[in-house]
Amino acid sequence: MINAFLVFNGQGQPRLTKFYTQLDTSIQQRLISEIFTLVSNRPRGSCNFLPLPPLLAASGTSQSASEPHNDVPSLVTYRNYATLYFIIISTSTESPLALIDLIQVYVEALDRLFENVCELDLIFNFETLHATLGEMIVGGVVIETNTDKIVAAVKAQGTVAKRPVNEGRSGGLGAGLGMGGNFVWHGR
Amino acid sequence: MFEKSLYDLIRGIRNHKGNEKEYIQNCLRECRAEIRNQDMDVKATALLKLIYLEMFGHDMSWASFHVLEVMSSAKYHQKRVGYLGAVQSFRPDTEVLMLATNLLKKDLSATQHTIISLPVAALPHIITPSLALSVLADLLPRLSHSNAAIRKKTIVTLYRLALVYPETLRAAWPKIKDRLMDKNEDPSVTAAIVNVVCELGWRRPNDFLPLAPRLFELLVDSGNNWMAIKLIKLFATLTPLEPRLVRKLLPPLTDLIRTTPAMSLLYECINGIIQGGILGDGENFSASEEIATLCVSKLRGMVSATSDPNLKYVALLAFNKIVVTHPSLVAQQEDVILECIDSEDITIRIKALDLVQGMVSSDNLVSIVSRLMRQLKTSSSVLEQQNGSQMADEETDSSDETSAAHRKQKSQDQPPPLPQDYTMDVIGRILYMCSHDNYTSLLDFDWYLDVLTQLIRIAPAPRSKDPTDSFSPVRQTVDISEKIGNEIRNIAVKVKAMRPAAIQAADLIVHRLYRQTAESASSYPVTSGALKPVAYLVGEYADYLSSPNDTLGYLLHITPRIDNPEVLSTCLQSLVKLFAQVAGDDREVWTPERKASMSLLIARVIHVLEPSTSHPYLEVQERAVGFTELLKVTAEAISGQTPSTDETYQDAPLLLTQAIPNLFKGWELNSVALGAQKNVPMPEGLDLDEPIHPNLNSLLAQADSLMLPVQEDDDFAEYYTQKPPATSISSEPAILRLADAPEETHSSYQQAGEESYLDADIIARRKAERMERNRDDPFYIGSGGTSTPIHNILQKENGPELDIDSIPIMKLDLAAVDVDLGAKPRAGERPLSAALSRPKPRQRLVVAADESLGSGLSTPRHYESENNSDSFTKSRAKKLKQSLLQVDSSHLGHLDLDASSQGGNGYDPEQQQREDAEMAKAMKEVQRLRLEMQRANERIQVAQGVPAEGIVVKRKKAKKAKPEGEGGDDGAVKVKKKKKKAAEEGQPSAEAGPATEVKVKKKKPKRIVQLDDDGAGVS
Repeated sequence: MINAFLVFNGQGQPRLTKFYTQLDTSIQQRLISEIFTLVSNRPRGSCNFLPLPPLLAASGTSQSASEPHNDVPSLVTYRNYATLYFIIISTSTESPLALIDLIQVYVEALDRLFENVCELDLIFNFETLHATLGEMIVGGVVIETNTDKIVAAVKAQGTVAKRPVNEGRSGGLGAGLGMGGNFVWHGR
Repeated sequence: MFEKSLYDLIRGIRNHKGNEKEYIQNCLRECRAEIRNQDMDVKATALLKLIYLEMFGHDMSWASFHVLEVMSSAKYHQKRVGYLGAVQSFRPDTEVLMLATNLLKKDLSATQHTIISLPVAALPHIITPSLALSVLADLLPRLSHSNAAIRKKTIVTLYRLALVYPETLRAAWPKIKDRLMDKNEDPSVTAAIVNVVCELGWRRPNDFLPLAPRLFELLVDSGNNWMAIKLIKLFATLTPLEPRLVRKLLPPLTDLIRTTPAMSLLYECINGIIQGGILGDGENFSASEEIATLCVSKLRGMVSATSDPNLKYVALLAFNKIVVTHPSLVAQQEDVILECIDSEDITIRIKALDLVQGMVSSDNLVSIVSRLMRQLKTSSSVLEQQNGSQMADEETDSSDETSAAHRKQKSQDQPPPLPQDYTMDVIGRILYMCSHDNYTSLLDFDWYLDVLTQLIRIAPAPRSKDPTDSFSPVRQTVDISEKIGNEIRNIAVKVKAMRPAAIQAADLIVHRLYRQTAESASSYPVTSGALKPVAYLVGEYADYLSSPNDTLGYLLHITPRIDNPEVLSTCLQSLVKLFAQVAGDDREVWTPERKASMSLLIARVIHVLEPSTSHPYLEVQERAVGFTELLKVTAEAISGQTPSTDETYQDAPLLLTQAIPNLFKGWELNSVALGAQKNVPMPEGLDLDEPIHPNLNSLLAQADSLMLPVQEDDDFAEYYTQKPPATSISSEPAILRLADAPEETHSSYQQAGEESYLDADIIARRKAERMERNRDDPFYIGSGGTSTPIHNILQKENGPELDIDSIPIMKLDLAAVDVDLGAKPRAGERPLSAALSRPKPRQRLVVAADESLGSGLSTPRHYESENNSDSFTKSRAKKLKQSLLQVDSSHLGHLDLDASSQGGNGYDPEQQQREDAEMAKAMKEVQRLRLEMQRANERIQVAQGVPAEGIVVKRKKAKKAKPEGEGGDDGAVKVKKKKKKAAEEGQPSAEAGPATEVKVKKKKPKRIVQLDDDGAGVS
């Protein structure tokens, strides 16, 4: 199952935090910063999986590699879109390549909702972020992977606010999240 | 109304770059005020702002009650904020959660599906067993809600309920199963069920076997890749239980592998085949053979250098699973896997290391370790550089962001330094690979010692332990450099032939530590854990030291700066051992000079020891006190002994030359297997409860006048001075495993380029040693002739002139051969003198096995006791404390689902109905009694003339407002009732009345509060 879904930007500022277990705020912050250090030190062209951050590695999953399934979070998947990092922490019951795709689905859904989404949209509409995620994952289990259905369900909850006009894009965040979809594992 | 909206807040934060902290604190203060506002809009906005700030780490647990208030709002968009607040901020210790039960139940029964979604999606985050019990009844009907989105969310929520309250499944599983079987069900609901079943499946695979036909159908027909992945994962756990499934699964899986364009599905097919034990299953040999080669070749393609890094990673994951069952298949891929060790990507490296660790052999050990060492070396030098530049950074600018960006930019030029944890992990693995199975894979101990010496320099300093840190990782308790030091110690103890070299290495480490402390600021404490084993070595084997006097000096300098008491106690012991070595020479003449130098030395040692005599750590204190007193006595003896002059000959004081050295000279200590102590048989007739002497007290009283008995301690001496018969050491001698070792393997470590990972001084020392050793070696051709890098350096340093010494001289030493042959047969008994005096060509050295008694009887053999103990503590710690983020599903394992899921209807819905009916009857009775009592109460109040509008009227209103809505209280009563029922079956329901009444009364104030809020929300 999925243990946490995080979004933060290139400076490590969180944009969305969702933990599927109850965790102290301070520990959440530590985990985020540990993952940020890991993710920001990735050389170009490395894979989309992170080694376990110290906080999670404390209980040692490397030793129990022979034990195929367990409840311990053992996989940290990330994807980088423009200025943002999307992180999923999960157990071994999830398929690693499918998780990469799940992030893609999430970003695609946001892109549809905001029309050419950029970091500013996420900053000012974090309630919509939560709503979108809530239509994809409930309690750590994926319930929907179809972008159309996700978008429809979010829209059913109310109108999605548009980007504040006067804010502009002066934040220097670049246009869009670069939804190139450079690779898609599923033959969707 | 000038409250800030969330939008204003965010803009404000963005406009206050530099002093965000202050701005946010102001906002928090405003929010605190606003959230108490009666206006629900203001309240909800304040809450939304708090949730936003919580994301950045600003605690909002104090607002939990206000979260409840907003949750109970009638407006959807406010309610949504409230539920979001609950999801994000409620923690296990949030008390107000108990008050939310009614609200959750109410919202679960709402008519709008958007409102139902809120509690359904929030429940997994806040669920507790008691809450699960109360909401289960309201949640179950939502499984058949007309809206598919509600159905799929409910399924998942029920799963999360089951994790804390397993009984949920008993009621929910039949319904979920019906949904799964229903072919007209919305495909996304089916997919959600499959996801849940996959989560449940590995815990209780047996319960899901009956579903196999339907699952198979879904796999073949659905065409949904996401679901197919989960189904394959599920089948992988089912096939071991039902081998017939394999035959059925193989065709579709092979088909998928050949045809699917989706890489993730392809990978999961291969993975499923591997995990499901389909590989090499006996029955259908040719087919499985075919599929095995197909899988492995696909995986090999994924790992190979040109492939996508993600595929590399997942393929390594798969190999890590195959290696458990089919090590030979993985061993064939050694070449590509080894390449991954040098990948730029740490994630891939770690996974490759997991694999390589199991594949190591005497042939590839050196090359693997060399690769790793090179990584560590480059990383540590980069780190040093960066530390320097970082300090400069800190001086120039204070803003976090810019310096982070700055650093990032800088690090792009060179490969980033390895994270400390990774470094420690790699060092641990190097040690494991070299030492595993009592050093079977290790051929060249000289090389290993050099590696260890280098590792101690690279090893990251132990992080200071933070007492406030509740998650302080357990593995930190074993300092990595201590583990490295332990390896040096193990070699010195176990490999006698290597002892001189090992002691020299230890000496070098002590010297280095001395230099570091001497250079750095005076109060800088010595933290290296390696000091403990290393200090032990220089003390225990002081006679191998080239200059014990110098070493003593270093140690005297270091000792006062040690802050770890365990290290300190070892060092104290070593100090005195070294002193004994330096001072205890009884052949040297007792000259005035010697007397003076001894007095001086003893004063120095006492000076170092004395501060520790009041050390809080008892072991340190005891040793320090003991040794100080002993040395003081010795000092007196020294000053009393007049030195010998030309005329009179005087012996050195016996205390100095005999007593003290004899304290430390005895039997050699061998390594003992972990747990060997337990195997010592209890001597017959030994009763530990029996008093030593029936009249011990009087005996002790007489002790003063007791005469020492004459020396009749033959038995005693025999017991302690004769070795036990060899039969009791039954552990397999190492030689058995070594005897048939391959011929001398000059592995290619020279080509591996040691200078790329060993410090220059280590290589120089090594070179000097080698030259020394090989001077008389007829087979060794000195520098010149060959052109290895080492020789090149040598030549550069020595100049091109011909060195006479390096001209090979033919000289056959037959005696050497004899000794070698004669020395081999007995494990660990190689004569030391021979080892010392003979030039040693590289050879299989004898490694003494750990000693144990009756091995295999009660304890397994532990060769890598050092390494194992670490993982042991880890696993124990895991038991004690769950991993962060972990959702424990172990409760599910105990629940017996068989009855409900496997055809046989052990779960009796009729009985449930009967019970329900009974319960309903009881509830009605309780209601009736309550109403009566309430009326009576009102009558009394009216009679007393107390105006009772407020409470009573509101209550009445409440009853009207939710006619069915006693539901909330029903739940609570039900709990009570159920408990009662379990205790005393068939109790007349009337009797339960008073008991529940109390409960209801207690609840009153809370209810009122809530009603008030309702009112506020509406008005």
